[in-house]
Amino acid sequence: MLRYRQMTFFAFFVSMLLFLSSCTAPASPGEPSATQEAAPVVTWYYYDQDNTDPEANERIGNFYLAETIPQFNEEFAGRYRWVNVPRDYNLVLDLVAAVQTNGDIPDVMRTGAVDLPTFLLNNTVQDLTDYVKGAAWYADLDPKAVEACTAPDGKIYCVPVSESPYLVYFWTEMYPDGFPTTTDAFLAKAAELKAADKYALTYWGSTAFDGEGAGRYFYQVISSFGGSYDDGQGNMRLNTPENIAAVEFMREIVANGYSPEAAFVGNFEEEASFKDGLAGAFPTGFYVGYQYLNPLKSPSGQEFNTISAQDMEDAVNAGVMGLVPIFAPEGGTPGCHMDVFGFVIPNGAKNVEGAKAYIDWIMQKDRAVQWVLRAGGGVPVASSVREDAAFQTEIFKQAAAALGASDCKPWYGSLNRIPEAKKIITETMFDLLKGNPNADIAAALAAAEAEYNSSN
Amino acid sequence: MGLWLFNGLLIGICAIVFFPIFSTLLLSIKEPQDVRRKPPVLLPCDTESAAFDPRNCRFSLDGYSRVLLLRPNPDSLFGASVTGRLFTQYVPNTLFYATFAAIVTTMLAGLAAYGLSRFRFRGRRLLLTLLLALSGVPLLTMLLALYQMNVRMRQMLPGYEERLFMVIVYVGFELPFAIWVVKGFFDTIPIELEEAAKIDGASPLGALARIVAPLAAPGLVSIFLLTYVNVWNEFIANYLLLGRSELRGAMYGIYEYISQSLSAYNALAAACILVILPVITIFLFTRQAFFRSMLEGAIKG
Amino acid sequence: MNQTQKPLRISVGRWLPFWVLLPAMLIIAAIQLYPTIYTILLSLQQIEPGTGRFVFVGVRNFERLLGSVAFVRSLVHTVVFLLGYVVLTLSASFAIALLLRQRLRFTPLYITLLFVPWVISDVVAGAVWRLFVVPDYGLFSPFFANPTLFGEPNGISILTTVPPNQFSPRIPLPPAPALLFLVVASAWKILPFTTLLILGALQTVAQEVQESARIDGASNLQLLRHIILPLIRPMLAVTLFYLILGGINGVGMVFSLTGGGPGTSTEVLSYLLYSIGFSKLDFGLAGALSVFIAMLNFGLIALTLRLSAAYEEH
Repeated sequence: MLRYRQMTFFAFFVSMLLFLSSCTAPASPGEPSATQEAAPVVTWYYYDQDNTDPEANERIGNFYLAETIPQFNEEFAGRYRWVNVPRDYNLVLDLVAAVQTNGDIPDVMRTGAVDLPTFLLNNTVQDLTDYVKGAAWYADLDPKAVEACTAPDGKIYCVPVSESPYLVYFWTEMYPDGFPTTTDAFLAKAAELKAADKYALTYWGSTAFDGEGAGRYFYQVISSFGGSYDDGQGNMRLNTPENIAAVEFMREIVANGYSPEAAFVGNFEEEASFKDGLAGAFPTGFYVGYQYLNPLKSPSGQEFNTISAQDMEDAVNAGVMGLVPIFAPEGGTPGCHMDVFGFVIPNGAKNVEGAKAYIDWIMQKDRAVQWVLRAGGGVPVASSVREDAAFQTEIFKQAAAALGASDCKPWYGSLNRIPEAKKIITETMFDLLKGNPNADIAAALAAAEAEYNSSN
Repeated sequence: MGLWLFNGLLIGICAIVFFPIFSTLLLSIKEPQDVRRKPPVLLPCDTESAAFDPRNCRFSLDGYSRVLLLRPNPDSLFGASVTGRLFTQYVPNTLFYATFAAIVTTMLAGLAAYGLSRFRFRGRRLLLTLLLALSGVPLLTMLLALYQMNVRMRQMLPGYEERLFMVIVYVGFELPFAIWVVKGFFDTIPIELEEAAKIDGASPLGALARIVAPLAAPGLVSIFLLTYVNVWNEFIANYLLLGRSELRGAMYGIYEYISQSLSAYNALAAACILVILPVITIFLFTRQAFFRSMLEGAIKG
Repeated sequence: MNQTQKPLRISVGRWLPFWVLLPAMLIIAAIQLYPTIYTILLSLQQIEPGTGRFVFVGVRNFERLLGSVAFVRSLVHTVVFLLGYVVLTLSASFAIALLLRQRLRFTPLYITLLFVPWVISDVVAGAVWRLFVVPDYGLFSPFFANPTLFGEPNGISILTTVPPNQFSPRIPLPPAPALLFLVVASAWKILPFTTLLILGALQTVAQEVQESARIDGASNLQLLRHIILPLIRPMLAVTLFYLILGGINGVGMVFSLTGGGPGTSTEVLSYLLYSIGFSKLDFGLAGALSVFIAMLNFGLIALTLRLSAAYEEH
């Protein structure tokens, strides 16, 4: 009897557990019998094919996936099936964690070259050298982009599809004579605008998103002054005359009130004053501005209100918006960070062949055009794709001209602990510009580089 | 005299405490052109001639329509359906987490508290202390391990459901406090009642179900509500443990609004109002239950 | 059958506590106990560069932690926040509880109204308070931008102003306006809870005790100090316990109100833990910081309990 009672209770408990687990069973992803022959190719994007919200932040990518996944599945019927798992912006960290714990690993992931050092440090992604060099599309690629995908050991770890230079978007109504090319001319013009109660520019000046600002405005200015963040050997080197000059210049902009307070708030608040036509210029990535800066209202009140990339194109075509390289000191070359977007294949991917077939599929000219326009961002890496009519519009012409006139390098150079580096750099820059505008620049830069280098 | 002073002070305090909610409500019904104004106005009632003209206040539901994104849908009951992500995805997720976590927590806390309240056994004190001590370990600490646990289980168990994991995590977080609260309620119920039931042939569990639980019903209801509201409001575990945003809850929806700063502050305000409305309603109708469990848990704990 | 029934029931009763406790304890063990132990082990390991494997490194993570600028900075932020939070909340809720104790006609209504912020989540509360101070457009921003009140040519802006360090470049003092603003917003959120606790305690102070003290000629202040405070001291300890736990571990409002900024001025320990563990992926260092935060929790709570016990003995 004693046993009996205990057993009933135990049986009840176990059946509860079984009941709970059976509830979850129907939710399992595979329908093994129906599609046994079509092996899944699992991708990770921060786009969601099922999100049909027409005002979603990533609507362009969402719609791209919704449209393209069925096309892939049709073409590869019986062989491969594209299964996209929508992720959020944390996907880099998630991939590292997934590979470390041998968890759910995608076969291929959209990523940027800027994440490569993080992946290499954690042994997250596969060496693709033989595959890339043997591919039909290899000869066509911009060597600079391939270089961005190449690790210090000389091996290629990502497949570049698009590249996006950093440049300056500006309202021509505020700069009727064109955007200044030298820093001195810019300061003069900014003083003029200030007198008229307008902001000359807005920029990413905050430490938001764990220091995402390191590669943006700060690097654009620093590299225009001939500076950099590293010594080429993997050490951080900030305390250089060029960097100090750049910081002094940026301090002047803040001290004189040439930029709005919102530049330092973060969470994309800095964009708003440019979109509203209150600030005259916005140094940022070509892709960022093209995809996300909408709707727009020019300083004179002209509105571009489709809430899509179309707004920027319309503004450029109407001549009220222009894209140019950032200013540089007299005789200098405008500096720029270049994002390179493409694919990685993680270690532990189950369907490597499928992943390669997927990449080859995307690399076909028409597919690549769509991917660059709607999922990758920027301009194509392959010259044949760049010739497509889609990239002959005014905005792409101006972007290409800006890219040609600038000296673009990845902001992180030889640094390999990217999350740590970008946090230290933005915190230091913010402190020098905003927190302690009278502090000794050289000392602060030296302290920051020492902090990073101490764990080398 | 003193009475007026006290009333006046309390009304003033209530007004201050309520102001953030009130101003958010006002912001949520502002017209887009009144949202980004320099200097800002609390009430958009100014005209070109007068600084304040109550007949000319401008209000609109623009913020709410941006959050709800109503689209015409002939199949729907009202001729339109909500397509905003907050309500098609995040709030339903939160409803799921909060409902199941509250049910399971109440049941398990009831059982465990019965054991701790009615029986004396070795290790009982230790157990009670341990439950209390766990509240000193920061939540974020546990998330590192739980994150890896989730990833590993997803890999090992076919048909593994992350939503269920999230519910169990919430149950685990809420249980220690809930057990303390329910135990406090059980302690106040005289044991003689059960003894009488036992003499009539009821088993201890039967006595729990038929005698103790109904008497402790107010306590069980309060712990249910408290858990419900806590899970509804939880953000960090939900955000960090679940990699995919389609599984996340309403608070992530709000965070998404902030971190992707819609310059439409009226939409953010409207989202805030819509998300707090259910819990405030629950609270207003059941406030006694809240006060009870709060006091009980705090004092005994 | 009937004859075997009686001993059986006793046996069932002997095992019953085990069975009723089992499900709850299993879940608590899995969700709270195991992760705690796991984190302690994690704090002694580090990821090997290149291979991505965990290797045992002893106390190196703790050395790295204690030597890092970010840790010292966040510790100072946490201390400042906690001090402000505890002092502001305790004094405000004590004052409000004293008012509520006067059983006025509308007291139940006041209580209900005052408690609404308590059911609002951290994230929403942070969003609401953030909207107040968005530069230019926030309702409070013209107030803070007033140069006569806040010095500086353009006044201050909560979300962007960071005062220069006065003492050492590594010690972030004086605190940034954003940190103080965070204190106010957090206090607003927790105020209902602490007020209710203190009100509950105040109501247990027997009316007669006060009456007799008053007859003995005690002033209001004396009454408060010598009669009421000692009587509600245990409850004050409980309140302090919750404030400390919430103050050290709460991070939702930092996320939505300031995101750790401007600069690093609201990066408290719990936010640093997020940033090390979930954005810098340094799991070993995050484990070490977790252990530190847990010790801080236990230390402060033990101190609180010790203080309240010591008072009771007197």
